[in-house]
Amino acid sequence: MWIKLLLAIVLVFFLVAAFVVEPAREHEPNQQGAAGGRAAIGSRLRLLTWNIGNGDLESESRAHADDLPAIAQVILDNDADAVALQELTGEDQLKLLLTDLKDRYRGFVSMRGNSDRVEAVLVKNQNNRPRRREDDVVFSNVPAGDRFAAAATFRLQKDMPVVMLVSAHADAFKAARRRTFVAEVTDWVRSQGQTNLSFIAGDLNFEVSTRTRNDLFTDDVKHDSESYAYLLKYFRDLGLDAGETSINNRRIDYILGPPTTAHLVRAEVLRGAAIGRMDHWPLLVEVSLSL
Amino acid sequence: MFTQLRFELLKLVRSKGFYLSFAALAAFVLLMLWGFYSYAQQKTSGLATEQFKYTYESKSYFNGLTFTLYSLVFAFSLVIPIFVAMTAGGQIAGERRTGTLRMICIRPVSRVSIVVSKFLAVAIHTYLLLAFFIGLNLLVGLMFVGWGNLELYPGPLNLVDVPGQILRDEALWRFCYASFSGTWALLVVAAIAMLLSVIFDNPVTAVAATIAIYLMLYIVGRIEFFVNLRPFFFTTDMDFWRDVLKPEVPWHNLYHYAATCGAYIFGLLLTAVLVFERKDITT
Repeated sequence: MWIKLLLAIVLVFFLVAAFVVEPAREHEPNQQGAAGGRAAIGSRLRLLTWNIGNGDLESESRAHADDLPAIAQVILDNDADAVALQELTGEDQLKLLLTDLKDRYRGFVSMRGNSDRVEAVLVKNQNNRPRRREDDVVFSNVPAGDRFAAAATFRLQKDMPVVMLVSAHADAFKAARRRTFVAEVTDWVRSQGQTNLSFIAGDLNFEVSTRTRNDLFTDDVKHDSESYAYLLKYFRDLGLDAGETSINNRRIDYILGPPTTAHLVRAEVLRGAAIGRMDHWPLLVEVSLSL
Repeated sequence: MFTQLRFELLKLVRSKGFYLSFAALAAFVLLMLWGFYSYAQQKTSGLATEQFKYTYESKSYFNGLTFTLYSLVFAFSLVIPIFVAMTAGGQIAGERRTGTLRMICIRPVSRVSIVVSKFLAVAIHTYLLLAFFIGLNLLVGLMFVGWGNLELYPGPLNLVDVPGQILRDEALWRFCYASFSGTWALLVVAAIAMLLSVIFDNPVTAVAATIAIYLMLYIVGRIEFFVNLRPFFFTTDMDFWRDVLKPEVPWHNLYHYAATCGAYIFGLLLTAVLVFERKDITT
């Protein structure tokens, strides 16, 4: 009898313990609001990345021109200093978007490479006025294998150091290609050497966090692991705690920034922002720059 | 009770299945060693250092501790639970099958102590299996792969979100902890097998049903369709054992899931005791 009683007592003990000791909520999306505002204007940088393509594979999976006004509104509402966009059809869409942005931004699309879609990078004009010559933005194509990423180099204010933002979109289907692409973009950014305020943003199409339940060792997982670890050698994953950025609970959109000079103020996935059949949400990151 | 436990341990040690489980795990270690060695050669045509340029570039990455980690994670998921189920599933149903159960029950020992002592014997066997497996892997790893720190990267094995490292001596302690946390997690499978061994007359049925339940929930838990059901699977709770192998051990998580596994173990064991007490043994 005493053994049964002992078993019952131990059972109750473990039940109580399981309820009392709550597991830590890993990967709880960071829902920090815009608390604190932008008190020190100029020392804060607000970046946004968004794959504006569509999940509807049977029709047009690139960005839809009809969606551009709403996309522009999201950018304006969030007052991003620079924006990385992926999966535009070409320069025509960029021009439409800049018009919808009321010419408050300047933009650039990357070369097409062997892809049918291009990446864009937008930079906000100072005080919402057209930029003067001395605060010009320099746009560049970033060659990475048979694709290109788009880069913008700019200053938030005339007396501030140069900031670089690269808008990248890695292959959705081949992990080995993603690894090569990520490595080449990273190496390109490092080779520029003109700034220690470089950011890589975009849809990198890999997810290697413990959110996934795959614990087997496959070539694809290894390639993606290498891609991510290589990025983390030089950058900090600023959206790490912001939660999933795409349908099916995937966190595949990233904003990576300098590990020491950019201090995270806010990272948020704008989950209400997707339009139509978009399969990604914009990731907004605000950092404080130590200069 | 202790005399009964001693009998059960004697029976266990004299059974062929006991040695078979150790032999099979040793064979698995050899298989892992072959896979570990041949992986770089096969996948990279000898250009391993080029392929492993960024994270796996360091020759010290593939060391004895990494080998042990991979071997342990793979074996824990798919191999060791089978042997635990085999041992536990045969405890009562096996006695019934061989016609010795009735004789055991007419001795002046309570049925509760019979079940509990058999379960304790299974628990000891489970710990020995895991300790043997970890020890053999470390030994083989030391002899054939070499020593170094335990490097962890996001992705394979799904242990960390950012690259991390556990220093060699600390990693050895972590493997020691893993032998205990792993045993505790595996006792959930043992408790299920024990209950089914009480319910079914045939040990094969009890073992097969246990393995079927475990594998079904293990696989279903990894399919995104069932993401909302996942927290209710005992296989999800069993995963806590790996927490001790993370650079920063999430103690809160570990305590919670260890307690949940404890509730499963003692709940199932109590049920097995109650069923066995009321069971009419006619063989």
